[in-house]
Amino acid sequence: MPTLIKHDKIMEDDWAIVEVEAPADGIRRIVPLEAWLPESGDGLLLQGECEPDARYCVAPLIAINFLVFSDGRGLSLAVLLRSRFDFTGELRAVGDVHPDLLYYLNRCGFDSYLMPDERSAQTALSTLAPYTDYYQASVLEPNPAHRRTRRFA
Amino acid sequence: MYRYDSFDQKFVDERVVHYRAQTERYLAGELPEDEFLQLRLRNGLYIQRLAPMLRVAVPYGILDSRQLRTLAHIARHYDRGYGHLSTRQNVQFNWPELAEVPDILQDLAEVQMHAIQTSGSCIRNITTDQFAGVSEDESVDPRPYCELIRQWSTSHPEFDWLPRKFKIAVTGASVDRAAVDVHDIGLVVFRTDSDEIQFDVKVGGGLGRTPVIGQMIRRGLPVRHLLTYLEAILRVYNRYGRRDNKYKARIKILVRAMTADGFRDKVDAEWAHLEGSPSTLTDEDLARMQAHFQPYPYDSQPASIDTLGSQRLEECAFDAWVRHNVAPHKQPGYAIVTLSTKLTGVPPGDVSDVQMDLVADWADRYGFGEIRISHEQNFVLPDVRFEQLFELWQQATSAQLGANNVGLLSDMICCPGGDYCSLANAKSIPLAEAIQRKFDSYDYQHDLGPLDLNISGCMNACGHHHVGHIGILGVDKKGAEFYQVSLGGHAGNGASLGQIIGPSFSRKDVPDTIETILQVYLDLRHEDEPFLLCFRRVGMDPFKERVYANPD
Repeated sequence: MPTLIKHDKIMEDDWAIVEVEAPADGIRRIVPLEAWLPESGDGLLLQGECEPDARYCVAPLIAINFLVFSDGRGLSLAVLLRSRFDFTGELRAVGDVHPDLLYYLNRCGFDSYLMPDERSAQTALSTLAPYTDYYQASVLEPNPAHRRTRRFA
Repeated sequence: MYRYDSFDQKFVDERVVHYRAQTERYLAGELPEDEFLQLRLRNGLYIQRLAPMLRVAVPYGILDSRQLRTLAHIARHYDRGYGHLSTRQNVQFNWPELAEVPDILQDLAEVQMHAIQTSGSCIRNITTDQFAGVSEDESVDPRPYCELIRQWSTSHPEFDWLPRKFKIAVTGASVDRAAVDVHDIGLVVFRTDSDEIQFDVKVGGGLGRTPVIGQMIRRGLPVRHLLTYLEAILRVYNRYGRRDNKYKARIKILVRAMTADGFRDKVDAEWAHLEGSPSTLTDEDLARMQAHFQPYPYDSQPASIDTLGSQRLEECAFDAWVRHNVAPHKQPGYAIVTLSTKLTGVPPGDVSDVQMDLVADWADRYGFGEIRISHEQNFVLPDVRFEQLFELWQQATSAQLGANNVGLLSDMICCPGGDYCSLANAKSIPLAEAIQRKFDSYDYQHDLGPLDLNISGCMNACGHHHVGHIGILGVDKKGAEFYQVSLGGHAGNGASLGQIIGPSFSRKDVPDTIETILQVYLDLRHEDEPFLLCFRRVGMDPFKERVYANPD
């Protein structure tokens, strides 16, 4: 069963992708772009190859779908939504989200991850932050490492 | 050379822990084969025809004697006593145990080395001129910029899952020894009249199935914008590069589809948002990095090259070695020495653990402990004093590293081919050996002059056959190994792609075919005209005519 990781822990999911399941009572809808209305309060489902747009940023949640985990287009889309269009809502990775890749997704601005099952969610939690710090700037750290920490030989 | 600080060290140490955990999960059956594949590829581990192959990163081809001794130790302890110098200045091991790779990475991390991003669809090892920082014809030392790009591209959150592998090469010299025209991004760094450092940026070059010469998209990019401009290029490629067909996924296909102008416009539009962002390099950033690459304390009262006079007269092999393997150094009294791995009977680029240890010793004794690996798969000792050359030559010769053939026919580039690689259509190592045996005479090779002969076992072109003056490509013809020959390729300044001469040849016919081609050249050349220029002047026809003339 799909399992949600948010704020670095497994959480109950109060959103549902309408294409996948009919939302139960009290569950909010995530709809694809063609069915999404900006004023609806629905979450928006985008594919990795989608062009980002400022209009999307009123959505309370944007889910980016990974057809295969090795398709990096969703990473660039996330970076653009966060850094160029200042999207501040929840940014969720869905689809083929690989537990070993959360440390990339996280630095591109994702803050929740719908893992395919509970086992992969547990794995993801065990390997959330394999590195203490990274060289380059990212959505999380706008400054590269040498600007943030004192580096010496 | 660059030395790790605590930040770099912590990163590679954590990489070992991270990769070890992934390997353990795979071995325990918790990580499926196809998923582990993507993870191990980002750490340089391929599963080859006979065994795994681990590619160790040698950033821009520079290492020190301690690191080379560690590679010798790895060859001895985890492999079968040898390693392979790759055409991307890295070192490959052909027989490691998958389960032992984390231990190898641990040994590497102890000497500031790793295997990060040496394979997979990500930004690969940055390559450069093997004479960087010491050559006479250099305008700007490219090494600080290589290291800045290395750090920027290491585990980049956005660009580690690209449509396909991505190779960046940098040169700062007037002679392009880094083949920047056949890289995904080729950077030429230079100094302007007003003493500003700038880059010319070429994109979309590459070999493989669809060889293309890169196109200039930006002239005179000020150095402070280097990383933000690369970020713009990579973002355009990551978003729009094809992912439906791996043979059409390299950036060259995108550049061609968009045209160079269209691609440049897209990059410029993206860069307009990034210009001046915090990744812009400051004077302090640049000075900090340049400080890692200061010249060594050279002897200010050097010997003259004339000191070699009598030795050169007495030993013609030494004289030939000085002529071919020794390049001018920017510091008077010093020379750059190329130690050729291309000895007949040894696969090009293969070096034993004993040879690695010896080269490390020589680097300490005849230099400042530094070694380079060239993309032509040779070792380079960058700081040898003139008066030490004879002694070094004697030792190199007794260690089978003294071949005086750099730039000549037998100094060929050759991929591991069908003996090792599961992609290859044909073997390349036995063919290289057959050609070396046929043309074993130094006098003949010397008479031929500069000649690049490159062999790839398949169209993925790891042996750079498209840019060999003579290129040989292994092809599969109804299950049999055949070889296609091309002429007129060139990797340096004014790069060009070879043209196929005609129908392919069986392995046993290739050496005779090469002999015919060389005879045509010797018959047609003007005085001192090198093969490449002769070919460009006379064209393919005379070669084709003689090669396919049927004696029956």
